[in-house]
Amino acid sequence: MTNYRFIGKSTQRKDALDIVTGKAKFINDFTLPDMLYGKVLRSPLPHANIKSIDVTEAKSFPGVKAVLTYKDVPDWMAGSAPQHVRILDSKVRYVGEAVALVAAETEDIGAEALRLIKVEYESLPAVYDVEEATQPDAPQLYEKFPRNILPQGIRVFGLHPLQEVVIGDIEKGLEDADFVIEGTCSYENIPNPMPPESPAVIAAWEGPDTLNVWLGSQGPHIVKVALEKWMGSINIRSVGYSVGASYGSKYMSWQYTMPAAALAQATGRPVKLSYGKAEHLAAFTVRLGSRIHGKVGIKKDGTVTFLSGDWLVNTGAFSEASQAMVAVGCGEAQLILRCPNWSFKPKVVCTNRTASGQVRGFGGQELKCALLPILALGMEKAGIDPVDFFKRNYVKPGEGYYWRDGEWWVCEGIDYTKAIEKGAETFGWKEKWKGWLKPTSVKGAKRRGVGVGIHGNADAGEDVSEAFVRLETNGTAIIYCGLPEHGTGQRTNICKMVAEILQIPLDRVSVTPADSLVNPVEIGPVGSRGTYAIGSAVIAAAEDAKEQLFEKVARNLKVKPEDLETLDGMVYVKGKPEARISWGKGMNYSGTCLGRGRFESDFSKPNFMMIFTEVEVDTTTGKIDLIRVVGATDVGQIIDPLCLTNQLDGCLGSAGIDSALFEEAVLDTRLGRIMNLNMIDYKWRTFAELPEMEHVILETPFSTHRFHAIGVGEITPSPGPPAVLMAVSNAIGVWMHDYPLTPDKVLSSLGKIAATKRGERA
Amino acid sequence: MKSFAHVNARSVDEAIQLLTKYNGRAKLNAGGTDLIGVLKDRILPGYPEAIINIKTIPGLGTLEKGEDSVSIGALTPLVNLIESPFIEKNYPLLQEAAKTVASPQVRNMATVGGNICQDTRCWYYRYPDQIGGIIECFRKGKKGCPAVAGDNRYHAIMGAAKCYAVCPSDIAVALIALGATLTIAGAEGSRTIPLEDFYTPLGNVLAPEEMIKAIRIRKPFPSTKQTFLKFTIRKPIDFAVVSVASNITIEQRICTRARIVLGAVAPTPVRAFAAEDFLKGKELCEEIAVEAAALALAGAKPLSKNAYKIEIAKTLVKEAILSKIK
Repeated sequence: MTNYRFIGKSTQRKDALDIVTGKAKFINDFTLPDMLYGKVLRSPLPHANIKSIDVTEAKSFPGVKAVLTYKDVPDWMAGSAPQHVRILDSKVRYVGEAVALVAAETEDIGAEALRLIKVEYESLPAVYDVEEATQPDAPQLYEKFPRNILPQGIRVFGLHPLQEVVIGDIEKGLEDADFVIEGTCSYENIPNPMPPESPAVIAAWEGPDTLNVWLGSQGPHIVKVALEKWMGSINIRSVGYSVGASYGSKYMSWQYTMPAAALAQATGRPVKLSYGKAEHLAAFTVRLGSRIHGKVGIKKDGTVTFLSGDWLVNTGAFSEASQAMVAVGCGEAQLILRCPNWSFKPKVVCTNRTASGQVRGFGGQELKCALLPILALGMEKAGIDPVDFFKRNYVKPGEGYYWRDGEWWVCEGIDYTKAIEKGAETFGWKEKWKGWLKPTSVKGAKRRGVGVGIHGNADAGEDVSEAFVRLETNGTAIIYCGLPEHGTGQRTNICKMVAEILQIPLDRVSVTPADSLVNPVEIGPVGSRGTYAIGSAVIAAAEDAKEQLFEKVARNLKVKPEDLETLDGMVYVKGKPEARISWGKGMNYSGTCLGRGRFESDFSKPNFMMIFTEVEVDTTTGKIDLIRVVGATDVGQIIDPLCLTNQLDGCLGSAGIDSALFEEAVLDTRLGRIMNLNMIDYKWRTFAELPEMEHVILETPFSTHRFHAIGVGEITPSPGPPAVLMAVSNAIGVWMHDYPLTPDKVLSSLGKIAATKRGERA
Repeated sequence: MKSFAHVNARSVDEAIQLLTKYNGRAKLNAGGTDLIGVLKDRILPGYPEAIINIKTIPGLGTLEKGEDSVSIGALTPLVNLIESPFIEKNYPLLQEAAKTVASPQVRNMATVGGNICQDTRCWYYRYPDQIGGIIECFRKGKKGCPAVAGDNRYHAIMGAAKCYAVCPSDIAVALIALGATLTIAGAEGSRTIPLEDFYTPLGNVLAPEEMIKAIRIRKPFPSTKQTFLKFTIRKPIDFAVVSVASNITIEQRICTRARIVLGAVAPTPVRAFAAEDFLKGKELCEEIAVEAAALALAGAKPLSKNAYKIEIAKTLVKEAILSKIK
């Protein structure tokens, strides 16, 4: 293994001190002169037409500068796909949807003005269940989506994006199977990833056709791309701030940016729109609802002969990117299952609750949470240990899959068998696994069980990244890259890569702000692409800059560029330490070397994550304690050990493992309201209750870039929820398929209380 | 947050005068950990004209140890109950209860009096105004309880009629088990009532111009064992799904006195009289504890989604009775 100067070594994050001392600037620390504050009037009804809306009083309230309704906002359309979401509409489709917008001198004035707006609604019947919504007589949310089904064949990823997995012949699979099992599993608790910083943006126009936005997005550049697509021919400059986490959710960000832009346009002044916690919980995007009716054929030796099923995807009141998420999910299903015959058909459906959108796991977690428990029924029938099953089935180099672009890709990554084996060994799987629906141990009322889950994504090399690296005459380097710091330390990590290539101290490398006016194209650190995709662009830019420097110096010293090397801002002739020249001299103290780097999509290198869990169930109270978590992966090469383990620790929280236990948006389907709109009732694990955690991290070199690494950040939570479901089922000896596993469900599965339906008296 | 007048009261008398002056349109504020949330989310149809700060009243935040009782000032922060060796020695169940409340930051701010007077956590009642408006209900002077046909997983399993919200106070459950009394100041002077008579189905017996001054607990009987147990989804932060406090006197292995109080099962804390009577004169063992637990929950009538609370309550009562028996 190469001994690097920075790569793989622990270095302090460049923003570490600023964050822990409170100096780091987040969007809510930032104001502009003359700035107004935006406020949103939100719908009380899940489905209604606005009959009348009177804003006279609100408009004349002192300090109010604009009140907008559906009658006077620009006709910008968003949502994917096709576009179907207006900033304000004459119809509301979920409780909490925007009905009117106010811009005022202070937030308090704005809040008071909202109370003066008079709205008359014509209430419409609402629908929440994904299957009920597709019935002919179901309430219809959009005229253009009959039976509330979003169209397929939309170009979310190129011309022929993946819409379903249909391979081979199901009849053949049926013939070959020793066992055929059928099951339904739902992951529909629509957890909110709940980054600590709620969505916030400042919008300001420069003239009629240039809009500037400052926001805490995970991908400021993609905000520019999305808004330019949807707001007509205007120029957009987007500037990213430190992000108080995102977990995928604060990405395209049009949901809050377009209303702020409309208010800024109406008032001619900058407008900040900042969600409160209740708004973040009630009216921002949550995970997709996922339900699978599946059928699996399996042989006695664990070979899967077919998978067929319907994947019903509930996207709520609109789709932010649901067909794209379904495409990735369909690709990811193939990564975990070596199966010759498929007929797996998704359907994306609108219902009357807050919309689903991008969250880490991007369709794949939602799919795995519903699919793995069904596969487990097959494994139980065949008597197969799930670790053996996953080891056999996870995609190996040379095997192929249809990816999100509809193309057949052949895996050029690595074999993860070693990671699986090392993970199982570290966890003590062989000792703890007693068979399906068998507890690991029983002590009085407490029963322990173990479970395992798997996930992987070939998006670690998705999409285009561009970067520049500029060498300065004083021996420093600047990276031009539209990468925001969303909590992973990736901005420091790309500095490490450049410092390693240029062999200069880490503090001599800096990154430009994530400002689209300054930087080339960068869609942001999503889908674990920071290490491979963004890293490759940055590395190529640094190499290019170094080459340019060496060419200049070579002419100067009358040697060949390949005879040169550089260390700490000096260029040396190899083997002649006395023949040296500083970067400044090499560049003649005039001008710089500007290297360019570009990365193009590569879907041939899936990453991998496996999670082993042990739980303890109290059979008298139904309480489940997560005792131990072991994660196993292979990252090729660690860039920064602490940043990596932080990502792996992040399997807890952010709608991850705990969405199997208590993270959920509680929807009252009589009122259409989400009831747990604060962080007392919305359960998030606290630091006081962390389970024992261990990470198995292997480093088998990838053929990615110079450092042979691959990212895993996005996928770390995704194997967790089904692993917990399996562990609890094993502990209590009964299959549980209903996330989250709250005490009432455990007691009801144990037969200690009667299962009751909503609205019934027990 | 809407504006209001803010007045610092310098004495109990002044606070009472202010309450009288505002005649129901003012709220007392001590730690603010409950009230500020209520005001920010504007969950109530009305909004106070004034907030009367009582933290500025001297002398209400101390423990005063008397011959046969202790008086806890209403403004005593919960952290002081946890850190007091006197409380730990004499009223361990009160200390245990205080430790389970919220988080260290909240326990530094929140007061004993405030904890006793806090409003319910029912999520229909607490639904924030800014997301489509508050939810009307019986507790807010309208008809019906939306929890009955809604998501009632945390609601009452006994003792409720028109409102199924539960009393969230852990401290009250502990104090009732200790037989505490309240000293209440009002326009006509002070009165003293047992804490267990303080709660009503929709709140408490405080008149608009009254406030709690102190809580008095008599000296514990010799050879009593005190236990406080609380079931929550998460250990920190959470309010009780069910809590149980027990205060049991055992003389020559026989139970001679028992107080068992259940929290978060009803609109008020609930004394389990039948279980208490049953335990008297008995030697405590698993069988007896199970029977007592069944008696404690005998009157329970769950809603559609909270039958599990009965099982949890039974388990907690049983454990409380059996705990600390060597």
